[in-house]
Amino acid sequence: MSLAVEVHNLTKRYGNIIAVDNISFTVNRGEIFGFLGPNGAGKTTTIRLLTGQTKPTSGKVIVADYDVNREPVKAKERAGVVPEVSNLYDEMSAWDNLIFAAQLYSVPKNERDIRAKELLELFGLHERRRDRVGNFSRGMKRRLTIAAALIHKPAIIFLDEPTTGLDVQSARMIRNLVKELNESGVTIFLTTHYIEEADQLCQRVAIINKGKIVAVDNPEKLKAAIEAHHTIEISFSPAQDLNDKLRSLKRVSGVSRVGDKFRIHVEDASEVVPLLVDFARENSLKVISINTLKPSLEDAFVKITGLSPEVMASEKEPIKREKSGNVG
Amino acid sequence: MLVRALMNSIIKAVYIAKKDARVYFFKWPNITFGLFLPAIIYLAFSVGRPTEISSTIPGLAAMASLFGAGAIQSVALPLERATGTFDRLLTAPISLTTIIVGKALGGFFFGMVLSIAYSLIVIPLSGATLTSPVLFAFGIMLSSFVFSALGVCISAPFRDIPEAMPPATLFRVSMVFLGGVLIPVATMPNFLQLIAYMLPLTYAVDMLQQAMTGQIAAQLFLVDTVALVVFSFFFFVAAVWILKRTLH
Repeated sequence: MSLAVEVHNLTKRYGNIIAVDNISFTVNRGEIFGFLGPNGAGKTTTIRLLTGQTKPTSGKVIVADYDVNREPVKAKERAGVVPEVSNLYDEMSAWDNLIFAAQLYSVPKNERDIRAKELLELFGLHERRRDRVGNFSRGMKRRLTIAAALIHKPAIIFLDEPTTGLDVQSARMIRNLVKELNESGVTIFLTTHYIEEADQLCQRVAIINKGKIVAVDNPEKLKAAIEAHHTIEISFSPAQDLNDKLRSLKRVSGVSRVGDKFRIHVEDASEVVPLLVDFARENSLKVISINTLKPSLEDAFVKITGLSPEVMASEKEPIKREKSGNVG
Repeated sequence: MLVRALMNSIIKAVYIAKKDARVYFFKWPNITFGLFLPAIIYLAFSVGRPTEISSTIPGLAAMASLFGAGAIQSVALPLERATGTFDRLLTAPISLTTIIVGKALGGFFFGMVLSIAYSLIVIPLSGATLTSPVLFAFGIMLSSFVFSALGVCISAPFRDIPEAMPPATLFRVSMVFLGGVLIPVATMPNFLQLIAYMLPLTYAVDMLQQAMTGQIAAQLFLVDTVALVVFSFFFFVAAVWILKRTLH
């Protein structure tokens, strides 16, 4: 299978800080590749390196067969970039922003209007084409930023945290757009700190933590790798704090409380379920529900990185512009 | 192939300049520092002084070009870096040099229009005679170009307007006092004359002075021209170098 992106031993240092630490991976043409990691793991720095916005300390990036450092113009001609924060001109209209993007990407003059109209219609913004972008909602800006990145029909599109800070409806719309784009043949490189988003959208996922890639595989394979560890979800009546008591049971490796349920991490569920029934009887508790859970991508992520899911779930600070040189 | 690539770069630089003109020309800091400041400085130092007004017109034209061409750079570049719109240019298939040329073209145009506008107002009002309008226009054009390049160079390290404006304004105002706009360079103490000849404004004022009076010394005019071209080149190279360092 031919490759859309090749990354070889890529490192980026800012003074003493290593933002990206000797990472290597490939993205196949036509796939949705997820770059998953907590805030500050190095996702944005990686995307800046891949799109030629910053130079690596060492290593090589090839996008659509062109070395980003040696032939940046050719590599950039084949890529579209959607940053985490809209980088459209607020003072200009939606239409003028798209035309300016078309001019920068050498879209022929007679095609610019047609392409801008097509994209505005596709993204549901045609009615607002004459409005200043500064008056748009965050979701509309994000859609228009994606439209601007597609104006020159790129072979690959880089999306940095495309749904961060969006309401549920806008986020769903963006995810559907990403799927549709991919179905039309565009390769998608997507960074996210939403594990579920990566699970839903991506054919392959790289997990990055502290600048290093700790795993690259299909979400299902990552889950399968930790299938030896089972989780039992159980709820009791009356509800009470039972964490310590449950943790003291034989063959239980960990307990966490999620709402009115307890998640009990075990080696073998079949051995522990009878123990839990006995536990309920001895403590005069009624078992309301009991389920064995298949490992989720979140479980795989926790197992691989040692980070808590809460670290991933935490939103970024109300979107601040990331200045060049910041670790992202 | 090379010519085609060069033409493509120039066309894209013009697109950037046109976009900058639409977005930034009417931003308040640009109007305050570009449009009003030269007029205020000129009036403050000219009104009530025994100097003949016609001898101050070249200084006003050069100052309008200096502030006009430079002010937009102190707005556009840092603001684009703060809002992230500069990244839109960085991810586009264009070189950093093309981006800088585009940015400089916007300032060049604003400085030139402003300088010509001031001259067209003040010359008829003062009853002065412009002896060589073509050379005067050439001087304004060259001055606007060098001051625009200087503007990009000064604002290149900054990532926000409040950071960029004070040093840029301080530098330009100091240059006004030392560059022969208000006080003729020849009347300055020797060490100040030495500094004056290290400033592009000195050559711009001298060139415009010659065009205004018609007392053109070919060699001096050539020296002014060469100095302004060399300054432009130096500021461009420095701007690219500074931006590269702060970006990567």
